[in-house]
Amino acid sequence: MSAKARKWIRVGFAGPGAFIIALVIMAGMALWLPQGAAQIDNLVLPLVLFPLIWAALFFHACLDGKRSRIALVAVGLCVIHAGLVANKFLSKPAATTPAATHEAQS
Amino acid sequence: MIHLPKEETKLMVAVHGWSGIVLGLLLYAVVLTGMVAVFAEEIGAWSAGHVETRSAFEKPIDARVRALVPRTPAEFRDDVNVFEIGDHNLGVFFHRHELKPNGEPVDRGVYYQLDSAGKVENELRGTGEEVFGPRNDDALSSFLVDTHVRLHVPNPWGLLLTGVLGLAMLVAAISGLLIHRHLFKDIFTLRRKANPVLVDRDRHSVAGTWSLPFAFILAFTGSFFSFFGTVGVPIVAMAAFGGDQVALSEAVFGSAAKPDPTPRAIGNLDRITADAGQRAGGAPTFMTIEHFGRADAVVTTFHEPGPGDIEPSTLVYNGATAAFDREKPSIGTRPSAGGTLAAIMGPLHFGNFAGVLSKAVWFGLGFAMCYVTLTGLRLWLVRRREDARSLDWLERATTVVGFGLPFALLVCSVAFLVTMPLGSAVFWTPTSFVAACLATIVAGFLMANARLDRALQIGMAALLVALPIVRFATGGPGWGAALATGELAIPAVDLALWVSGGWMLWSLFGQRRSVRTADDFALQLAE
Repeated sequence: MSAKARKWIRVGFAGPGAFIIALVIMAGMALWLPQGAAQIDNLVLPLVLFPLIWAALFFHACLDGKRSRIALVAVGLCVIHAGLVANKFLSKPAATTPAATHEAQS
Repeated sequence: MIHLPKEETKLMVAVHGWSGIVLGLLLYAVVLTGMVAVFAEEIGAWSAGHVETRSAFEKPIDARVRALVPRTPAEFRDDVNVFEIGDHNLGVFFHRHELKPNGEPVDRGVYYQLDSAGKVENELRGTGEEVFGPRNDDALSSFLVDTHVRLHVPNPWGLLLTGVLGLAMLVAAISGLLIHRHLFKDIFTLRRKANPVLVDRDRHSVAGTWSLPFAFILAFTGSFFSFFGTVGVPIVAMAAFGGDQVALSEAVFGSAAKPDPTPRAIGNLDRITADAGQRAGGAPTFMTIEHFGRADAVVTTFHEPGPGDIEPSTLVYNGATAAFDREKPSIGTRPSAGGTLAAIMGPLHFGNFAGVLSKAVWFGLGFAMCYVTLTGLRLWLVRRREDARSLDWLERATTVVGFGLPFALLVCSVAFLVTMPLGSAVFWTPTSFVAACLATIVAGFLMANARLDRALQIGMAALLVALPIVRFATGGPGWGAALATGELAIPAVDLALWVSGGWMLWSLFGQRRSVRTADDFALQLAE
């Protein structure tokens, strides 16, 4: 692999990659974080921590000398969190659209 | 201090520079308007000549809200929001909850704007997005806030843009910390007699180092606010509730009260505001009434953080009896780590947790950050001046944005003061801003960069000095009238404008004098 290609892989993980993976982590975190005393920590903390998760992924992609480790950490986190979300959907499929559910309830 | 290896430090220097170069000018626009927006409330009072200092919630509101019920269609009487508008007048929004086809919750109803006597001055019908816009008397402060929040780009793109700018600022702040080899030395190093580039570098470094923690906090909280509604809530709602954002909102903000749809008149709201004011140490800033006209009605009052506290306080009352129920966290039904963290994001971003003092500190640090962004761009350009002549356009753009933006903001302030008494400030405030921006851009093409730089600074100084005079000439209250009611914002803003305008004029013409003196000295030596 050329030096240019390696550089662009790093840029990819630091730029759009970090953003997309941070979004996936935010979704997955809502499913494994403890709910806390008010039963809301798992919902609120991912929203609050999103910029920091992105920054951590960004600086890891910039500063880690081993590209393979950057890919392993980023893809690993992405797969684990995407898997959690997929598992939630597969085990309990949504019956209808949110708008229809709300209208039915009211 | 963090000591990175040489290669990583070089990489961080590049990341720090490029994060500023790619988005620096837009970031400067957001930080500059954010710095001014810290005092949006005071600027609103100053520009519109508001002299009432008593909160709308310190006056009777019960009869005024009750009088609106018969004229409100029953379909919009589910919930009511009560808040302050204009010169401490009352805004009341009767509404029901709806869902957009994409599942996003929206409020639809009737929004009443009352005057100081409690009469309906204006009645608007529609969704929250449709009825809550700038009014003639708050067009200037609304314009400032809107520029800061989304740069006038339509939502959600405007919020996403400012969110990305927040992330760029986070990168600049963290990389700025990592590239400091001598953090404590850099805080105090100002070599006044070195060459001009070194002097500028020292100033950039000192201002940047002092404002590093502040830059981090602002970038973190700012990008949180930008991404919260645009991507955060839909994604978490998708993962936890199959996309149902109402269910997420209920889980986070909802009350645990048992539903009881029995019709029951609402309790005395004046009793609630008086009690809430005593308990929280200040009048509410906002009030919500859920299930209006039902036995399970709940009234919630929101207050600014109390003395020595950073988290805003929220009180809950039984709506039917007006009896105090409990103090609850701003987010969630019980105190929790996540709720507290989310609740302090607002005060940390707006700097309003300790009144004018914290606002002044936030304003000062915001100014330091504007200075850091602008000098950072200029230093980056100076370093590359000999290598790449093609970067002249960026140098020009830096001048046009760096001084053109505050110049255009001052022009639109003058336009607001002139057109507000005529009732056309909502149109002329943004229009004059665009006109001033266009004029600056054209001047950027026609004038030499150094001349444009100086002309814009002189224009800014002249407008700063002229603004209080224009305000008074267009019918604004004098200092005597303002001080008589205890409205300190008016003389304080006038004084701040004069001091900054005077300081700019002195430094501009003082510079010329010192340059002339140096030239004379050189000539004498030559002779």
